[in-house]
Amino acid sequence: MTNLLVFKEQLTGFFSRFETYIIAVLKFFVGLIALLIINANLGYMSKINNGAIVLIVSLLCSFLPMNLIVLLIAAFALLHVYALSLECALIVGFVFVIMFVLYFRFSPGDAVAVILTPICFMLRIPYVVPMALGFMGTPMSCMSVGCGTVAYFMLNYIKENADQIASLSTDAESALGSFKYLIDGLLGSDRMLLFVITFAVVVIAEFMIKSLPVDYSWKIGLGLGAIVNILVILIGCSALEVDMSIGGVFVGTLVSVLIVLIIQFFVFNVDYSRTENVQFEDDEYYYYVKAIPKMSVEAPDVNVTRMGYDEDAVEDLQYFE
Amino acid sequence: MLNEDRIELMTKMAAYESRQGRRDISVHEFFRGDYISFQVLKSALYCTVGFALGVAMYILYDLEGFLTDFYKMDVVEFAKGIATKYAVVLVIYLLASYFVYAYRYSRAKKHMKKYVSQLNELDTMYDWE
Repeated sequence: MTNLLVFKEQLTGFFSRFETYIIAVLKFFVGLIALLIINANLGYMSKINNGAIVLIVSLLCSFLPMNLIVLLIAAFALLHVYALSLECALIVGFVFVIMFVLYFRFSPGDAVAVILTPICFMLRIPYVVPMALGFMGTPMSCMSVGCGTVAYFMLNYIKENADQIASLSTDAESALGSFKYLIDGLLGSDRMLLFVITFAVVVIAEFMIKSLPVDYSWKIGLGLGAIVNILVILIGCSALEVDMSIGGVFVGTLVSVLIVLIIQFFVFNVDYSRTENVQFEDDEYYYYVKAIPKMSVEAPDVNVTRMGYDEDAVEDLQYFE
Repeated sequence: MLNEDRIELMTKMAAYESRQGRRDISVHEFFRGDYISFQVLKSALYCTVGFALGVAMYILYDLEGFLTDFYKMDVVEFAKGIATKYAVVLVIYLLASYFVYAYRYSRAKKHMKKYVSQLNELDTMYDWE
């Protein structure tokens, strides 16, 4: 445990010193992974389905605020959908705007959750995001998880039904009726509804339990959050007649709990004070201060050197005493 | 001569001003009622845009039927139905906005209280010199 704490302190120290660069690199990788996934699954527009473009946009992401990255990724996805079908792009664009209306007003600080939710769905551990946001965010964070979930299910539907969607656009006679088909397909998924409700319940339940003034509230919150997650999915599956692997839900929840425990170890109750570069002045001086946080747990810097241990010498010492 | 305690306090304050403080100070410039009203008004605009897109999708959903029945339908009844739904959505959205922004105002106020006490402490330090 001490080794883990020392590792955490070293990591904190490293992060606080190189925060600016680390955040830029992380943003770059978040943008790169998201764009590569979009290109791999929806690469309908050949102009942007290009490694160089992805690299340039990812580099751009490393300097942009997270909310702009979300907009950029949404625009990237929308361009691919537009190349497939104008009608589909119109509906997806409408849904994106409605989601942004909710997201930007209520939880604009959870941009990472919006991007990570679809990625976690692909990794089959979608429960990580609501469980982590339950103790790191606010009840309004359920909006950002919901937006990520809807985006994933819409884009997944387009990927799976690309041929039918493309044929709708070519057939002018059925163009009017195509919207019904598209809206039903994109937004009519009971599975999507089940996940949105479950995640909202998990985020709110975990937040409320975590806020209780009792010992280990966040651990209790996580445990109950996992149970609530499984229960709501089970009840929802029977109520909405959704076919889901119960074993998959249990394993996914268990893996998510483990990941959230690791996240909690590194994030919860840690003073992530960082290097501050600030400037100010008073009547006499201009100050250019660089404040570097102190480490609270010293990393052991042990260097054991054998000096030729001699038992006779010890006996001699005892004799003199 | 440099006063280390004062520099430490000023560094903490400057760090706060450059991050969270920027937002808190802009919130604190308003009275509570003004801030919440302004944000609720902004939310009403956002909600109207979202609802308009929702209505557009509703019409697109059955565009063929809508165009066929357009001349037969009672436009006033149709508009009344839309207006009722808009009112319900708007009330829910604005209530949520009210609670969220009231909470944000009280949080900013709490941070600013600490910041003002630090300012007073700094002022006292200058007086002592």
